Amino acid sequence: MARLVVLGGGVAGHTTATFAAKWLGSQHEVVVVTPNAKWNWIPSNIWVGVGQMTKDEVTFDLASVYAKAGITYKQAKAVSLNPEGNESSDKPFVTIEYTSKSKGGEIENVEYDYIVNATGPKLNFDATPGLGNGQGQMGTHTVSVCTADHAVHASHKLQEAIDKMKAGERQKFLVGTGHGMCTCQGAAFEYIFNIEHELKKAGVRDMADIKWISNESFLGDFGMGGLHMKVGGYVVSSKLFAESLFAERNVEWLIGAHTSKVEEGKIEYELLDGSKGEEEFDFAMLIPPFAGVGLKAYDKAGEDITSTVFAPNGFMKVDADYTPKPYAEWKASDWPRTYQNPTYKNMFAAGIAFAPPHIISKPMSSPNGTPINPTPPRTGMPSGIIGKAVAHSVCDLMTKGEDAHLHEASMAEMGAACVASAGKGLTTGTAAAMTVYPVVPDFEKYPGTGRDTDYTFGEIGLAGHWIKHILHHLFIYKAKLNPGWTLIPE
Amino acid sequence: MVREIVKYPSPLSVEYGVDVRVFDEKLFALIDDLKDTMNENNLDALSAFQIGEYLNLIIIRDGDTFLELINPRLITHSGRVVTEEKTAYYGDLSANVERYEKISIVYQDRDGNNKTLQADGSLAVVIQRKLDYTFGATFLGKLSESEREKFEAKLQYGADVGTADYCPTTFFRDKILKAINISMLLMVFALIGSFFVSEADVLESMWHYQLYASFFVLALNIFYFFYAQYEGKIYTSCTSCQIGNIVGTFAISITKLTLLMVASYFIINP
Repeated sequence: MARLVVLGGGVAGHTTATFAAKWLGSQHEVVVVTPNAKWNWIPSNIWVGVGQMTKDEVTFDLASVYAKAGITYKQAKAVSLNPEGNESSDKPFVTIEYTSKSKGGEIENVEYDYIVNATGPKLNFDATPGLGNGQGQMGTHTVSVCTADHAVHASHKLQEAIDKMKAGERQKFLVGTGHGMCTCQGAAFEYIFNIEHELKKAGVRDMADIKWISNESFLGDFGMGGLHMKVGGYVVSSKLFAESLFAERNVEWLIGAHTSKVEEGKIEYELLDGSKGEEEFDFAMLIPPFAGVGLKAYDKAGEDITSTVFAPNGFMKVDADYTPKPYAEWKASDWPRTYQNPTYKNMFAAGIAFAPPHIISKPMSSPNGTPINPTPPRTGMPSGIIGKAVAHSVCDLMTKGEDAHLHEASMAEMGAACVASAGKGLTTGTAAAMTVYPVVPDFEKYPGTGRDTDYTFGEIGLAGHWIKHILHHLFIYKAKLNPGWTLIPE
Repeated sequence: MVREIVKYPSPLSVEYGVDVRVFDEKLFALIDDLKDTMNENNLDALSAFQIGEYLNLIIIRDGDTFLELINPRLITHSGRVVTEEKTAYYGDLSANVERYEKISIVYQDRDGNNKTLQADGSLAVVIQRKLDYTFGATFLGKLSESEREKFEAKLQYGADVGTADYCPTTFFRDKILKAINISMLLMVFALIGSFFVSEADVLESMWHYQLYASFFVLALNIFYFFYAQYEGKIYTSCTSCQIGNIVGTFAISITKLTLLMVASYFIINP
């Protein structure tokens, strides 16, 4: 009997663990180590952040689901990896620290035969002075929608702002990225339009100034270098699409921006043209940059081998080509296919936890040398697909032996669909549905944009909102492993 | 080499404008072609899109030299200004477009170095107009609704002149016609309703209703007849068959009313 340990219970980790448990049956053991007691459907946090959903609607308890699936669940965070074991044993293990109420702070070494790192990101608030509290948590000046609890907090702050506007006090809303190297513009994009929609519903839109701040070099980049949509034989760039939406909803924008400092009611920023400025706000939701969760790695002798296993940003190295190259030489083949660690073959990474070889958008920096560009999104659909492919590979390795063929899921050969909400409501909701293929442009296969335009399209409207709402229920149904869950795609 | 400029109605955006990734001889040759085409056609600015090359590349005349803007991005803007613009894609047609007064852009030069540029006045406007092209659009998307309607009329006529008026899609006279039809429908209901009524006094009041309604409808018809012709004369550019339509509509309406009243006289009148 072999043991698979999955670190993390997000989209990637949960997908890997549940499929592995199903395919391995009772022959082998699957262990999930995640610091959270609840699973969170993160895309719907946007709606929690505007008070349109409760925390309970977007989360559920993991323990009973894992018990049903026959998965050993440890509510703990991973601290370090010993892929070669230690002096007393050759067996690799991961050191975990419990976070549950009953066992909080307890340390345990969990041995593994295979391990999948799907820890997701550390929300690196402290990368921007004032955005964090100096201890790795969110600061007090801004709000976030990255976790369900953050979103609940954001909705309270939003309600306070609405009350002030009803009392005749003008409010300035600032939503976007809190650092020049953020990813997840999509979440902020959804949030700003959901706020706009809620303010309209509350009848206070005329009392609000709404502004977007982002590290994208053009509106509609979304961390993917933008996309082009075919509409009726014509081509519309996501730039025009986004600009029209912003203009239509009367939302101002500031792009190419690195938020350099956050204070109470004010941010300082630097732009791609080198200029610096300040922006005041009454309510700000700024997405933090992502970093690896800070896992350490040690060899048999106890020497620190973190830099061998992890990239400098803390994400795990996998079968990608990490040789630094100029933009002109980026290739689709730089991107990982199997997500296997090159040094330790029984180690995989899925979702945000793997280190991408480079960004997707065009790299940009200000004349002062500050890099200001979105980092690659590895969330949602790609995360799920990668998680499932890794589960396949690990199961084959465990059941067919070490020579088993590994399953592949390159982001340069993978499409992604994204439904971005721009307001919630049965008849008044809107959402932009977009598909892009492949996520990472392949300039050799598709000269020009690097994408197959037959599979890249976008549309905005009420139907999009319905789809988004249906997906919310569908994915939570799937994550709860209710009957037929394997039939629901990633 | 002088290249052919893509002109309306050939669509600009059937292909994709993408960032220049490789700075090589091919790119330099394209830049030279753009300059030749500008000189030949006496243009102040040209984007690669306009000669059918789908790259984010703009050339702008700056006195005797040229500004080569590769992968330009508009970063900051301030102020608003409305100016009359023309662009080679639409030939000699012009439109009033709202633009930012001052802008700053970042771009790359032919060696791939990152550059910044602050611009105001006409340079700012021309850069913004060309930036529209780099993502496959024209200034049409930047026009206000009324300005766009005017510009679309100009496109139809192919000239700036004689486009002071345009055909609205709905006329006020159509609303009068709607009022007439609704009134007559109510009269038909009254006529049908009378079959279920046997009391003489109720029938009598129904007949009175029918009579007054017919006067009202007649008055509306007469108003329609004159107002519609007056409205037709305002929009002289869309007079095709209009007068005939108006007379015909009036005649049909009066005939319907007459038939309705004859039927009412025999059925309702006690």
